[in-house]
Amino acid sequence: MSEAFRHIGSHAPRKEDERLLTGRGCYIDDIAVPGVLHATFVRSPHAHARIRSIDTGPALEVPGVVAVFTGPDLAAWTTRHRMAPPIDGLQPVEMDTIPVAKVRFQGDPVACVVATDRYVAEDAAELVQVEYEVLPAVTSMWQALDPASPLVDETLPANLLSHQHAAHGDVAAQMRQAHRVVESEFSQQRQTHLPIETRGCIGVWDEGRQHLTFHVGTQVPHPYRTALAARLRLAESQVTVISPDVGGGFGQKIALYREELAVAAIARHLKRPVRWREDRLENLLASSQAREDFVRTRAAVDAQGRVLALELEIVEDFGAYSFYPGNYLARVVAMILTGPYRIRHYRYDVKVLLSNKVGNGPMRAPMSITSWVMEGTLDAIARELALDPVAVRRINMVGAADLPYTMATGEVLADITPRETLEAALAAVGYEAFRARQRAAREQGVYLGLGVCTVVESTTYGSKFYKSAGIPGSGHEAAWVRIEPSGVVNASCGLGATGQGYETALSNAVAEGLGVAPDGVRIQLGHTDVAPYGMGSRGARGGTAGGGTLYLCAQEARAKVLAIAAARLGLADPGELRMIDGRIERRAGGQWQDGGLTLADVARTAYLDPLALPPGMAPGLEFHLTYEPPPMTYSNSTHACEVRLDPATGALRIERYLVAEDCGTVLSPVVVEGQQHGAIAMGLSGALFEHVEYDQQGQNLSGTLADYLVATACELPRIEVISMHTPNRATPAGVKGMAEGGVMGALGAVANAVNDALAPFGVAATRHPLTPMSLRELLRGRRPGVAPGPAAAEASRPATIE
Amino acid sequence: MKPAAFEYFRPVSIEDALRQLAGFAPEGKLIAGGQSLAPMMNMRLARPAQLIDVNDLTELAYVREAGGWLRIGALTRHHELAASALVRRHCPLLAQAAQTIGHYAIRQRGTIGGSLAHADPAAQLPLVAVTLGVRLHLRRQDGERTVDAGDFFLSAMTTALAPDEMIEWIEVPKAQPGEAAAFRLFNRRHGDYAIIAAAATVECEGGTVRRLRLGVGGAAAVPQSLRTLAEAARGRLADDGWVAEVAQAAAQQVAVEEDARVSVQYRRELTELLVGRALGRALTRLRA
Amino acid sequence: MDRQSITLTVNGRNFEFAAEPRKLLSDALREDCGLTGTHVGCEHGVCGACTVLVDGQPVRACLTFAIQMEGHEISTIESVGGHGALSPLQQALHETHGLQCGFCTPGIVMTFEAFLRANPDPSEEEIREALSGNLCRCTGYQNIVAAIRLAAARIRESA
Repeated sequence: MSEAFRHIGSHAPRKEDERLLTGRGCYIDDIAVPGVLHATFVRSPHAHARIRSIDTGPALEVPGVVAVFTGPDLAAWTTRHRMAPPIDGLQPVEMDTIPVAKVRFQGDPVACVVATDRYVAEDAAELVQVEYEVLPAVTSMWQALDPASPLVDETLPANLLSHQHAAHGDVAAQMRQAHRVVESEFSQQRQTHLPIETRGCIGVWDEGRQHLTFHVGTQVPHPYRTALAARLRLAESQVTVISPDVGGGFGQKIALYREELAVAAIARHLKRPVRWREDRLENLLASSQAREDFVRTRAAVDAQGRVLALELEIVEDFGAYSFYPGNYLARVVAMILTGPYRIRHYRYDVKVLLSNKVGNGPMRAPMSITSWVMEGTLDAIARELALDPVAVRRINMVGAADLPYTMATGEVLADITPRETLEAALAAVGYEAFRARQRAAREQGVYLGLGVCTVVESTTYGSKFYKSAGIPGSGHEAAWVRIEPSGVVNASCGLGATGQGYETALSNAVAEGLGVAPDGVRIQLGHTDVAPYGMGSRGARGGTAGGGTLYLCAQEARAKVLAIAAARLGLADPGELRMIDGRIERRAGGQWQDGGLTLADVARTAYLDPLALPPGMAPGLEFHLTYEPPPMTYSNSTHACEVRLDPATGALRIERYLVAEDCGTVLSPVVVEGQQHGAIAMGLSGALFEHVEYDQQGQNLSGTLADYLVATACELPRIEVISMHTPNRATPAGVKGMAEGGVMGALGAVANAVNDALAPFGVAATRHPLTPMSLRELLRGRRPGVAPGPAAAEASRPATIE
Repeated sequence: MKPAAFEYFRPVSIEDALRQLAGFAPEGKLIAGGQSLAPMMNMRLARPAQLIDVNDLTELAYVREAGGWLRIGALTRHHELAASALVRRHCPLLAQAAQTIGHYAIRQRGTIGGSLAHADPAAQLPLVAVTLGVRLHLRRQDGERTVDAGDFFLSAMTTALAPDEMIEWIEVPKAQPGEAAAFRLFNRRHGDYAIIAAAATVECEGGTVRRLRLGVGGAAAVPQSLRTLAEAARGRLADDGWVAEVAQAAAQQVAVEEDARVSVQYRRELTELLVGRALGRALTRLRA
Repeated sequence: MDRQSITLTVNGRNFEFAAEPRKLLSDALREDCGLTGTHVGCEHGVCGACTVLVDGQPVRACLTFAIQMEGHEISTIESVGGHGALSPLQQALHETHGLQCGFCTPGIVMTFEAFLRANPDPSEEEIREALSGNLCRCTGYQNIVAAIRLAAARIRESA
């Protein structure tokens, strides 16, 4: 790959590091605003209650308190939020800016105290008297499914927010004819994103210009601005959103949250700047959560383990509010679940329920459960039929000859390499040798397990996808490249940086497209007066959408630069010219030689000597381009995880973890490796430790970092990465993107490894997190049976493709 | 989360500190390392009206020999306990336990006095204190007294300290020749509080047990010294069978409280495992 | 609720300001001393993002009241390296890609500037153990561990 590109794929370290390493970054709370007031929120202690009255009197008495606002105040200054995409089976829902009539989860805001500093604001918040009429709470998806359960949203007939189902082929017939029908269950626990920097914002209202400048850490500056302006009944041009350095997003910093909208509205009302810094307790209690899914599969199989048909049932606890559409799960998870496996008969049923918990927001790999479910189903098939799990994968997986492959749901897989990453991972982990070691260890009473999980990750969603999914919005991205008269290169796109190394990766894309050194490119992101209107950073679209658009835009810039250079050099054909690191070279007698011109020379001509330009060419070197990616872009990887299980305590140790990944063309290998580590870390942490727990009264039991556990440096393994690169032929430079597949793969790999270790005991773990207590619960009273283990001899011969 | 307001005092002598404590009782609280108190104050779960900062009382940070005991000042930091040559030599159980507390940064600040006064049911130092029969020297403005560890921990986060009293020093019995110690704990993640912790010292002579001291922490509101069990060990042959027997008996005898996240049964199983491993480790050290 | 005059010695400079005793050191450093490199991640001592050095030892600034620090020497990230002249640890983090969003990074740098002085040749296990008091949500820690090993080796070599 590096022969084809000069800067794309560069291993240069990151450009953004120095300021971050020396404590000179600028995060939201670092921004000093003279005269700024501090907001803090009074929050409901109850999971479900009507608000009977709010007495702000005592709070207003506290010196330093400027005002206290409640739901009705915000209702006067903002519109309600309506989430109502026209999708069959999805209920429309509305949300107050600050609840007026009732609260729906413990932590739901009911008032906002504004004071001269946060300490005083918290003192006053304690004094706000709220009278609640407590209502019975809905605290589980099973309870929510009951039509008689209390209504979380009283405008809906039931707590069923979304019900999507589809059938492809004839699943029933296959089930009847099958050699066996294997049933599996997967229960993923509620989690939260936990960026190390919590949410926060600053609203600055310019009464003279009637303009709001809103500082907020956001992954999606322009869509955020659109939403903010609309809710405030302002024109978009009356709002500027500026996203500074952001300490992690992971999907939590996409929605326009109610607290943020309240701060903006209050700043406008008071005509004074107001800031809010969410503290960690609020972040755990009241930001957004994710992943509480129950999944059941039924797989009709033949005696060799071929999957003839698959039935998928998903139930999700979505919390109390819709920060993103409730049908997402169906539209993505159910759609891509069969992944790289040849399954023509497939049906799914997805139900999404409301409950009295914090509303769900997309969390890095919102489709995280996908690979765990598909790969876990294959493992269950293997166990039931006493086959090797790798053999089961090989017999079902598409190979290069099958591509492009159209899945039962109509999704088209092209330019992906699941078979190759599977074989690479197995070779690297030493599959047959592991099975031998495992057998020997079992004889010694030591229980090792190996889990394999292949991921086909949907990274970049095009507009066609959103349209057919009924999700409003576009998948395109926008970029500009501007070369100044001195030859300095600036570039921008609509992405929102939250730590992904965009300044480095995108510089490589621009440098490659234009023909300059990456060091000379300045990437500007996050400021809506500067960046072009793009859809921002979601999923894993940064590389394909952001990098791709910039690459194409930079190529356009290069074309004009070379045309001007050709004119300057008296050449008819710019095709005899190229630009390398800002120097024009010309081909003479088959050799490239220095052309005697630099980008600076060309730029000076373009801006200051337009009469020297080719006839008809406009002055300047400013370029703007939008790019519509394909409906869907995929990358793939295979994860392998070896664990050691202590049956006496249920404790797990990860002995080895590796991933064979194919992300196509990679803008910055350094950044991609970091993303892979981080995604895998989040997946492992989620599978083993994290859990937002609510009790039956809807009280959040995971209110501090002593309760909500995330993996530390001691719990995570070294991750070995094997990189492969099969370019995507439909995207600029062949970029595919990645960043979420690691979560999917880690969840599946460790889950499968644990079940492989448990196999001799005849039990399987179906619930996450895989705590020592829960594993011990499965093992108590059980003894290992005769466990011949899968026959490794068969596994060493790859199955032929029918 | 910002703490509620308080008045701040920084005494330069123990007498000043005690006078302030007496004057502000029961609202006033001492702060030493702050690793346990400050989070509670930030969350407004603790709201002392006065905070008395004893970090300047450096005369309370020491480890000294006092005959058959080690006397340790209340302000001695965890990392000092872990690293002190005197502690490692004369009270290896204490050094081992201190090394497992929290993380590197926490051990720089947390103090033995603070940990004992805080009395978290799963904490290491209270467990070591009851296991070894440590003596706590408490002082108030107009008096002092010595309390045995067994009488000091009353309930979760509750000790025998009067509102106007502070821990001045702790006396730890020195290890005997022919004695080895082991500390074992099980937690979800490195540095977390223990789900169960086992502390043991075994003194042997000619392969038989002269004295066993055994404690289990994390099972109930206070750490437990399994004295009866320990006394029954005298004269027993210190072999693997004996270890298994003691471990089983400990699992059955330890009081375990119900917990939403961890079952009683699990804690008993862990107790058996960790006591067995601690004793095994101690015996291995003896043989070495 | 009464503000007092507090003087902090930070990075060799004296800062005098008025604040309540309850003002956290983390807030005082950021607001009253204008040193925003120390970040706040949890305010209950778990994440380690706010770690600074007090008399050379790592301390969680969120668990310390500013007034407690009078008479002590505080070092923050702003005293470590600078434009074009990173410390060995900062340089190593840069080379190994040991930071992504950078929010946890100053706390890690401060922890290990102290740790490496006391432990110049740590094993990977010792590094991970010392690092376990700092939470990172972006990197999975691997490249941070690699940076610390690299920095330790370079510091030993140049000693």
